[in-house]
Amino acid sequence: MSVASAPAQRASSVADPGCMPGSALYGEILQFLYQEAELLDECRFREWLGLFAEDIRYTMPVRTTQFRARGPGFQDVAFIEDNFNSLTTRVERLLTDTAWAETPPSRTRHFISNVLVRLAEKPGEFVVRSSFMVTRSRGGQGYQMFTGLREDTLRRVASGALCIAYRNILVDQTVITGTNLSILF
Amino acid sequence: MPDTPDLATLVRAEQGLISRRIFADPEIFNLEVERIFGKSWFFIGHESEIARPGDIVARQCGIDPVILLRDEQGVVRAFLNSCRHRGMRLCRVDREHATTLKCPYHGWAYSTSGALLAASSEDHYGEGELEKEQLGLIPVTKLGIYRGLVFGSWDATAPSLEQWLGDMRWYMDIIFGRTGEIEFVGVPQVWEVECSWKFATDNFTDNFHVYWAHQSLVELGMLPSDPDFASHGHMVTLQNGHILHFVAGQPGVDTYQGLGLPKALWPRFKENLDPAQVQIAQKHAYSAGTMWPNFHWLQLVTAGDTRSEPCGILNLRLEIPISPTRTRMYSWFAIDKAAPPEYRKHSYETYVRTFGPAGIFDQDDMENWEECTAAAMGPAAKRYTLHHKMGLERPQDRTWPGPGIAYADSYGEMTQRAWYAEWLRCMQRPQRTAPGIVGTQAKVGP
Repeated sequence: MSVASAPAQRASSVADPGCMPGSALYGEILQFLYQEAELLDECRFREWLGLFAEDIRYTMPVRTTQFRARGPGFQDVAFIEDNFNSLTTRVERLLTDTAWAETPPSRTRHFISNVLVRLAEKPGEFVVRSSFMVTRSRGGQGYQMFTGLREDTLRRVASGALCIAYRNILVDQTVITGTNLSILF
Repeated sequence: MPDTPDLATLVRAEQGLISRRIFADPEIFNLEVERIFGKSWFFIGHESEIARPGDIVARQCGIDPVILLRDEQGVVRAFLNSCRHRGMRLCRVDREHATTLKCPYHGWAYSTSGALLAASSEDHYGEGELEKEQLGLIPVTKLGIYRGLVFGSWDATAPSLEQWLGDMRWYMDIIFGRTGEIEFVGVPQVWEVECSWKFATDNFTDNFHVYWAHQSLVELGMLPSDPDFASHGHMVTLQNGHILHFVAGQPGVDTYQGLGLPKALWPRFKENLDPAQVQIAQKHAYSAGTMWPNFHWLQLVTAGDTRSEPCGILNLRLEIPISPTRTRMYSWFAIDKAAPPEYRKHSYETYVRTFGPAGIFDQDDMENWEECTAAAMGPAAKRYTLHHKMGLERPQDRTWPGPGIAYADSYGEMTQRAWYAEWLRCMQRPQRTAPGIVGTQAKVGP
């Protein structure tokens, strides 16, 4: 199955001083990621959807436990394999009053850190890696936690704003212990 | 611990009265561990997951961890995933390709056929202290394969897989043999839900929850707005608790047929099935079946989002309890080997968007299973029954072309009642005297 195995976005290996912490670009991207997290934690899902390019590929591959020599364990089969239409449906569903997994809503907190910015090979695109820790509090239950790495491609559009053109969510768990994946990453 | 007469008062399947106590009570769970998970037949994996000699996957048989592999001669085998020496878990990855299995604790090494090849510090054992020929891996007591599906049982007195499946094989032929062979694609999605395993199994034979539990998809126009839309079919109960549905969809609205497969594949039905099976495969687009107790097929047609064309999907599901109130879920995507590439892609994308823990259908089910479980734990709740009475007086439809007792309406709780009746039968099975201690007598080799 090659469906979920499109190559990750390629980044220039040259460290560009314009991408370093402290640079204007780095600050802009950091702010972008924080604002995105704010939209998610405040359940402003339609505004969140507005951050994505129409050719978005939003994916979370299944991971398996395997020996180091066989790689990190990410598989062709995914938990999430969305394009713009299916991501839109996911969001529109969450905004109905009958998506019971999130009605009443979970309370999430998206902690974003370890942000690395590189220039993509394509002009106007940036390869951005960030670690996430997402906590979910649901009903009166204890916390559920999801951690991992996001591999994003951010794109500068004509208006000058940034959008997310690709997101690969690389989870640390091989068995998702948090009931379901009804929240967004 | 309740004795067997108590169990009969807790589960009165013929009246549709199932006590809430059986779902979250640790004492009942402890009995299930021995009487169900120690004795029944359980799905372990599919042959396509271990296609080459040396392919290994770590799974469970019942609730015990097992290694499922294809040995160097090509024989499918399953062993307790535990070294014969100190009991260390041997295979600690989800899948591997290897010619030997070596224990990380003391280095005991086994062939893929389970023979102990080498122990540690062998010179230090005295005469008769290390009987290597009797220290092979512990095989799953009974192993059977039907249509590529590998099942195992830990009970030497269990009927053969063929006997146990019985007439369910006739229906499994339709799902797993309609165009030749099916294959499982890649690895399963695995996740854990804070629920009783039985609320999940109950859900997989429940058609009338779809309109309500998945109401958000009705709102989005992805499901019909008639609450009876999934009732236009048959449900069938078989011996040994196996149960299933075949549903044709809402007349005039939903015209999907041929199990949702591309029309180009329909001529293969006649090559692989008998005429009555062809009739069922041709006429229906939806099917759910439970190979008792915890392994299910879902054969559906759905769109993956509000703009995409609907597509057929085949999803296999397994629930393995971790405790009375926590369950590990497995979900596999499967496809007909004969399916054209564009259909495979469309079917996979449709599956992953709708089912599994992130699926826009599936995620709401887990909410129900968790909350049913949470509400069943207190002493007051345990005094009350659930309600499984729909269709208590429903007559059998004797015109149904397949085996078993069929009912002409896919909304009803006949299949659930049959499942719980088998649960009670298994829980009341006479127990042998103490299971005894098995030392070195496990047989090795073919």
